[in-house]
Amino acid sequence: MCFSHVPGKSRPPPPYPTSPGALPGPCLARIQPPRPRGWAPKRASRACPPPRATGRAHPEPYEPPARSLSAPRPPAQRPGDGAVSQILPVGGGGHPCPPRAHWCPLPLPSKAEAEAIEKELLEDYRFGRQQLIEIWGHACAVAVTKAFPLPSLPRKQPTVLVVCGPAQNGAIGLVCARHLRSFDYEPTIFYPKRSPDPLYRDFTTQCEKMDIPFLSYLPTEVQLINDAYNAVVDAVLGAEAEAGEGREPCAAILATLKHIRIPIVSLDVPSGWDAESGGSGGISPDVLVSLAAPKECARRFLGRQHFVAGRFLPYDVQKKFELNPPEYPGTECVVAL
Amino acid sequence: MPGPRALLGLGLLVAAARAGGRCRGWGWGRGWGQGREWGRCPPRRTMHGPSAGPGPKGLRFLGQEEAQAIDQELFTEYKFSVDQLMELAGLSCATAIAKAYPPSSFTTSQPAVLVVCGPGNNGGDGLVCARHLKMFGYLPTVYYPKRPSKPLFEGLTIQCEKMDIPFLPEFPAEAAFIDELYGLVVDAIFGFSFKGAVREPFGSILSTLERVTVPIASIDIPSGWDVEKGKADGLQPDMLISLTAPKKAATHFAGRYHFLGGRFVPPALQEKYALNLPAYPGTDCVLQLT
Repeated sequence: MCFSHVPGKSRPPPPYPTSPGALPGPCLARIQPPRPRGWAPKRASRACPPPRATGRAHPEPYEPPARSLSAPRPPAQRPGDGAVSQILPVGGGGHPCPPRAHWCPLPLPSKAEAEAIEKELLEDYRFGRQQLIEIWGHACAVAVTKAFPLPSLPRKQPTVLVVCGPAQNGAIGLVCARHLRSFDYEPTIFYPKRSPDPLYRDFTTQCEKMDIPFLSYLPTEVQLINDAYNAVVDAVLGAEAEAGEGREPCAAILATLKHIRIPIVSLDVPSGWDAESGGSGGISPDVLVSLAAPKECARRFLGRQHFVAGRFLPYDVQKKFELNPPEYPGTECVVAL
Repeated sequence: MPGPRALLGLGLLVAAARAGGRCRGWGWGRGWGQGREWGRCPPRRTMHGPSAGPGPKGLRFLGQEEAQAIDQELFTEYKFSVDQLMELAGLSCATAIAKAYPPSSFTTSQPAVLVVCGPGNNGGDGLVCARHLKMFGYLPTVYYPKRPSKPLFEGLTIQCEKMDIPFLPEFPAEAAFIDELYGLVVDAIFGFSFKGAVREPFGSILSTLERVTVPIASIDIPSGWDVEKGKADGLQPDMLISLTAPKKAATHFAGRYHFLGGRFVPPALQEKYALNLPAYPGTDCVLQLT
């Protein structure tokens, strides 16, 4: 995956028309050249290091994150410098992982840029905050249904636990829970520290009125969570949070989530991870849904599936921040990388 | 050590108070996760207003006052905001259009769509629809003569402008011009609150649209129609996208495609008004009724 961002460098013109001009121009989503699955690396301004030949080339021992999934995983390779690898799911019968794509070591949008994108959407494009949160929450719910389709859930009831933090990421989780409910899942919300913002209070009311139960406490006994739910949606902390575990009750929640065995879906940034450098010793989500564009820390994501919910981004924003989004199929609002 | 069921029971104790008239109690009883048909509850629901109209499997067609009451309840009781629901409604409309009229089906050289937006919420739905159509690969052009000076509509207009969706300064004078330039017209002029006479400039717009030969997709109500009785000599759209639930006027709809959109109605509200909405397929935000 390559989000090229090299400020100050002149870029070659893209092979498709970029400025519609006075008349309605061709829609770029349709004219963009077909891309291979996943991100097409842009030409790097510096030479990419050659891909590593085989096996582990990294000196430090790598410990795969402790979690149990239905299929056994081969030992993970430690990403080489800059080159990011994504572990692909193991097929039945224990096939070795297919060779990984080599990604160019160019930076993804930083935390400051992610904030700038959001600011531009709110101020220049006059998106409403509730509108954006609704778009993102809906897209996250669609991603969850793609990652964990209803017929594939192991438990008899399609229960999902949605853990919501106090800020915007939590509000997105609330909207996600509501859409999951309309998609026939059975979400339960844990929302310990409710934001006083009236905007977010409305989201809470909407969920309550959809008959979504709110837990009064999160059990520290992780086996209870493992037994009751099929998956956990982590909407605790987003890109705006400071690095580290954060304050209570987020710290206690994250400590519990680190030990659960059912899959975790993180919204935008795995909670507790630094948006730029990633987490060490933090939670290890199975699925990541990046909002608008993947953040820098997504390079260190080692889970099963990575979705991007960025279809609604106006083309000019994509161009300005030099995002290089993939093709979205049909009318889908998320795409798996 | 409490078992998982007791845990859920504890959590359920602190959930907010419920309104009455619900057909399922607490706990994971029947109906949860099994049938996908909301609204199929045992007869403990209250029936409001006139009896069920024609439609698939007892689907109810709403009168104007009922539609307004449901809308009000969504905003006041359920605390939805207009921009939230408008976003979902506009997305439904664009998705339905993409299903019925895929870009490849256009006879014009490019999938150009004219979106005519009225002065109220129906117009706002049209603006959101235009934006999503652009993202789906169409080339929408908007005609928006009467713009309310509310921040919501100003915001939606700016979002469209910044997506390079052109706004026409004036409406094409002849139906033939529209037929030549566009492969589809989206009618987002009047919705379920429409009553009385049509004020200019929409009167002349509607008479032009009545002569257009390219398909017209109407959002919620074909504009100019009485919300309950329809209008025999009025607009004859090819597609109707009913939002939330179809209104009585939809019984007079004679076009090819009738979609249901606006997948946001909470189950409790569906039960209260006995909407009998059929199940939406998967995660789709639209459902094809005919």
